[in-house]
Amino acid sequence: MKPRKSISRRQFIKSASVAALGTTVFLSGQETAVPVKSGRSRVVLVRNLDVLDENGNPRYAVVEEMLDTGIKALTGMPDPQSAWKTIIKPDDIVGIKNNRWPYLRTTAEVENAIKKRMIEAGVKEANISVDDLGVLQNPVFQKATALINARPMRSHHWSGVGSLIKNYIMFIPEPFTIHPDSCADLASIWNLPVVKGKTRLNVLVMFTPQFHSFGPHSFNPKYVWKYHGLMLGFDPVAVDSTGLRIIEAIRREYFAEERPLNPPAKHIAIADSKYHLGTADPQKIELIKIGYDKESFV
Amino acid sequence: MPENINVFYQLLPDTIAGWKKADPPDLYTPGNLSTYIDGGAELYISYNFKNALSMKYTDSADNEIAVDIFDMGSAPDAFGVFAHSRETIDDRFGQGSEYAAGLLTFWKDRYYVSILAYPETAEKRDIVFRLGRTIADGIKSEGALPPIIALLPAENLLPETVRYFHHYIWLNSFYFVSNENVLNLGNDTPAALGKYRQDGAVFFLLVVRYPDAARAEAAGRQFRQKLLDGAEDGMRPTEEGRWTGLQSRGDMVSIVFNAPDASTIRAIFAKIKA
Repeated sequence: MKPRKSISRRQFIKSASVAALGTTVFLSGQETAVPVKSGRSRVVLVRNLDVLDENGNPRYAVVEEMLDTGIKALTGMPDPQSAWKTIIKPDDIVGIKNNRWPYLRTTAEVENAIKKRMIEAGVKEANISVDDLGVLQNPVFQKATALINARPMRSHHWSGVGSLIKNYIMFIPEPFTIHPDSCADLASIWNLPVVKGKTRLNVLVMFTPQFHSFGPHSFNPKYVWKYHGLMLGFDPVAVDSTGLRIIEAIRREYFAEERPLNPPAKHIAIADSKYHLGTADPQKIELIKIGYDKESFV
Repeated sequence: MPENINVFYQLLPDTIAGWKKADPPDLYTPGNLSTYIDGGAELYISYNFKNALSMKYTDSADNEIAVDIFDMGSAPDAFGVFAHSRETIDDRFGQGSEYAAGLLTFWKDRYYVSILAYPETAEKRDIVFRLGRTIADGIKSEGALPPIIALLPAENLLPETVRYFHHYIWLNSFYFVSNENVLNLGNDTPAALGKYRQDGAVFFLLVVRYPDAARAEAAGRQFRQKLLDGAEDGMRPTEEGRWTGLQSRGDMVSIVFNAPDASTIRAIFAKIKA
């Protein structure tokens, strides 16, 4: 036997990414494209052990500080206000696409911190909405000129992981139609007019990612890892790819053996190789790590 | 044993330590389980799930404790679902249980039970245990383990790793073999997998029983052709220097994965008492 195990998956991701050359990130609705250093997609990982209180709930002040640190590093601007102004205009209508899965939410702390900075950037509060399941019916999302995509990463029975790419599944009327073949074509949703070119920022919440799914609600507290992280990027594939590497490493750490995700999170590599939404290749990702660095796994 | 799963609702107290039982409970069937378990219903359905009763307890701050009782139709399938994620041996509840960070799961007879209070607190943990005890006591009979797991030789077996299933996708959850169903696993092919530790080496033994010898032989032949390069003796070293071995005997197929050498495989095959 030639057990392929994780090796085959790594090889698959590697080969799938070969087709994707250096990615230039276009900020939709902006006049100019933001150049990415050396043709690589920038991903910022901020970690802070104080982000969770003794009960495991996020502390707002720390979340806000992490978000500020991340957006500054991502944009290269000196303060969060000027950083947000590079991606949001006062006349934007902004939908914050969250994820409200009850056991692992985007969290109100992340949503409110984003909202606060956008208001400071001049966006009217009435032109900002946070939604998940109701985005197609939400008037703000229907008129949105800009989207902020924010969700936690978790293992998922259909797609390997619930990812930033997958977070737009609620923008199609019948989400189950994208389920075949481990949700391989999730990135196709990003080409629909309702979202195409509107995403200004992707925020992957890695406070307590879920690395294995089990239980009546696909949730088991023992498979939640306190990672204390927040990841930001313009390229959703690059952020997801980095998040996936973390999830896979946590699985190796926890199970003390190779235990590939089942099903594989192939939609991330396919978002790169087939849909050219971004890059999944770590060699083409500029990862900036800030803060606590023990067991970062990347 | 309750004849009807709804009996559990009457069995549980209306209030417990200030937490109130919400009513009415929800009843789920294979047809609508996915509306309750987004993305995870397939696990239960693949183990022949019959129906589930879902109840909630809430406190004054609207915190929630979720009680879910699954009628799996048979004790082997209830054990199969329970053992799917078991990592420890704990018999405090039912015929086997596990508690971690706010989630209690156990099985007894044909029922698989889950009580979730997350995030965990000491107060909630106490309530979870009391509810679990009430449910376990309410199930008067015990069920038999899947017969096939008795075929796993006990020596060097890590008991908490024993899995039972009859869908190939779950084999991949425990030990990735192939994205194809190369062993033609299905509802009529009970399978057991266990992890062994011997002299510092860790390896896995899979045993599958088919309805007849012809199907076992066909499955074994396909596995040899697709994953063992057609090895006549069923033994093959892997690219990582480990060994995989297959034995097809009568209506059974046995496979060892990740063994340190071929002699280890032959030795464990010799201990299988089919």
